[in-house]
Amino acid sequence: MAGEVRIRLFATARQLVGTAVLPWPVPSGGLRAAEIVRQLAAAYPRLGPTLSASRFLRNHRYLADLATTIRPGDEFAVHPPYGGG
Amino acid sequence: MIPELRLVRRRLSPERAARDLGRARPGAIVVFAGTVRPDRSAQGRVLALDYEIDRIPARTRLAELLREAHRRFGVDRAVAWHRYGRVRVGDVAVVVGAASAHRDPAFRAARFLIEEIKRTVPIWKEVRARPARRPRRPPRPRAGRGGGSRRARRPPAARRRAG
Repeated sequence: MAGEVRIRLFATARQLVGTAVLPWPVPSGGLRAAEIVRQLAAAYPRLGPTLSASRFLRNHRYLADLATTIRPGDEFAVHPPYGGG
Repeated sequence: MIPELRLVRRRLSPERAARDLGRARPGAIVVFAGTVRPDRSAQGRVLALDYEIDRIPARTRLAELLREAHRRFGVDRAVAWHRYGRVRVGDVAVVVGAASAHRDPAFRAARFLIEEIKRTVPIWKEVRARPARRPRRPPRPRAGRGGGSRRARRPPAARRRAG
């Protein structure tokens, strides 16, 4: 059975998509992070350059690479380059 | 004693950080406060910055940075505070500080904390600005037979009567 991943978008990613949270359908076995990023770029072409500069997190932990599987119920965060201070 | 790590909406007090860092009577206390500058941006004159955070990883990363500051520089105490939400021009957005027996570790730890916060903590800022006023331009004359607009061709007296 398919499910959903909760994509959280910050800063420029949020502005370009127009929302902070996107429910994203995934198959029951999940999807690799790379595939979610590819689907996001296809759905929101203006997001492409921001995605290439972003870091990604699964359930609040940074992903070392995009081969990690994101499963239904997971949170997947998109962090564009930081700018605190 | 106040916490070493704070992510808050309310105002930050660098004076309070200095007092707290000085409680153990170290030889050196360094406090850095970053404030919002009244810059001119592409959108106009900056009135405030809206800070956005991803709270859980931001807290995790700040805690790592504080541990790292203790480990690398051997400071007695360190603080890393950041505001989120709207921060107006002149207000303090970030405070970092360190206390140690001698000044060098305290300076280095404070510098390390602010540079790493900017680079590695999930905090973003967005400018809130007052758009710059465009200079008023005189109306362009309309193109037409004889040049100039109908109104411009009318004598001033006729215009007054028409009103």
